Amino acid sequence: MSRTRELIAALRRDLGEADPAPPAIHVERVPDPPVRVFPSRRERSRLAGEASAHTTALVGIGRVGTRYATSVVLQFQAELAVAHAAVGQVLPDGWAEEQGLIGLSSQVRDHREFLLRPDLGRRLDEASVARLAEDDVPKGVDVQPILADGLSAVACMGSGVELLEAFSEACRARGLTVGAPLCARFARVWLQDPIGAAVGAKVAAILLGERPGLGTGDGLSAYLVFDPKPGNTDGDRNMMSNIHHRGTPPAEAAPRLADLAAAMIAQGRSGVDLDLSGVAGVESGLRPPQVRLPLVETGGDLS
Amino acid sequence: MSRILEPLLPTLLSERRIPNASEGLLTSYGADPSRHVALGLVTCDQDDSLFVALDEATKHADVDVVFARSFWAGAGVASGPLSGEILGVLASSDPAEIDEGLRAVRRCLEHDACFYGADADGATAVFPHVITSLGRYLSAEAGLQPGEPMAYLVAPPIEGTVALDAALKAADVRAVKVFAPPTETNFAGAWLAGSLPDCEAAAMAYAEMVVEVARAPRG
Repeated sequence: MSRTRELIAALRRDLGEADPAPPAIHVERVPDPPVRVFPSRRERSRLAGEASAHTTALVGIGRVGTRYATSVVLQFQAELAVAHAAVGQVLPDGWAEEQGLIGLSSQVRDHREFLLRPDLGRRLDEASVARLAEDDVPKGVDVQPILADGLSAVACMGSGVELLEAFSEACRARGLTVGAPLCARFARVWLQDPIGAAVGAKVAAILLGERPGLGTGDGLSAYLVFDPKPGNTDGDRNMMSNIHHRGTPPAEAAPRLADLAAAMIAQGRSGVDLDLSGVAGVESGLRPPQVRLPLVETGGDLS
Repeated sequence: MSRILEPLLPTLLSERRIPNASEGLLTSYGADPSRHVALGLVTCDQDDSLFVALDEATKHADVDVVFARSFWAGAGVASGPLSGEILGVLASSDPAEIDEGLRAVRRCLEHDACFYGADADGATAVFPHVITSLGRYLSAEAGLQPGEPMAYLVAPPIEGTVALDAALKAADVRAVKVFAPPTETNFAGAWLAGSLPDCEAAAMAYAEMVVEVARAPRG
């Protein structure tokens, strides 16, 4: 490069290089480089959207790019917090008596032991056995309802009493004798066997908080067994789950449970042997689609 | 041509050697038969570029520029396809020196000396050349010492005249030779002497003013 050409190149820059400006050279539009564009709107199929309307579970929630939608994440965290709280909750001392129930307890002494020793949760302690032997506890009844904390004291304290009373009332309406309202602490499902055996009930029905999950920290389950006695297995029991106001409401669950108890007494058996044909509320087929009602309101749009 | 001050490169139209020239030819083309034996002849379509290139050859080989004349009216009305607008003749006692000189000429025309387009069409040409170090040929023509810098400025008459004024005002330079129009090729030119930075500043002011006049002829 000569000195003169260097100087001219610098002068051209000083003069604006292409001034007077020539017409712009036509250049084909260069396509945009491949960029991953993540949509801000939630993508999900119509089927998933419809399916998710039928459950409180976080299914069919779609995605935004590679992530969940923010509303879904918030809902997940809120419901997980409720589940954690429910697992950690203990039925307070004297709660049963405050509700006008007869308080019982398994052989478990504290919450940690309750979680670690399911076997102890299935046996009555001596004080409870003695309490059941007292005269104000009717014996030889048709149905012995038992409210219990189970794995969610929150559910027990929430709609437990409502379900217990509705269930007892429904049984009486079907001409069944109902035992004294009991409330067991640190109870597993099988605790219904020693209780039912102690009062000589034909059917023992334990209504207890179910294992908390997302969106179901306040759910109750009902387990019914005919001829309660230690040694019964899960095959001898019938159960109904998801009894809460966003699932099967207590008022709706009570008559169906009473029908179930009546069928057990009529057939003299329960569990897999029970003939459910003709039992009202069992054969009603598909329910109409539920509307998803979140346990915790986070303000997000989950639909 | 779409941009201003783009180089308009010269073309070396012919390049012939006469290793042992006749005495009559040597004499009539300004050579000295007692010192010169071989000749190198070149034609080019840019006379001023070749003047610079011939001077460049004297710095690289033991050659003398014995003849260099522009043709009337320039390359646009050349007398033949090889004529261009200038014939230059190098002379030496040794044909090998002629080869070396011609090599320097080619190198200079290719990489250094050239006109530049002063408007968008390239119709206006300007030669704002800075010779950083003069050879034996142009230094003698200009009355300067070999090795001195010089601004070699050429442009069409009106542009060149206005630009020469701008160049003389832009730096501490003096005009050692002014070629008022018409020259053989109907351009106007000037040789300015001074320090190298002054020569450079003057040449750039000259080029800029030529662009300015071409842009606004009735300014």
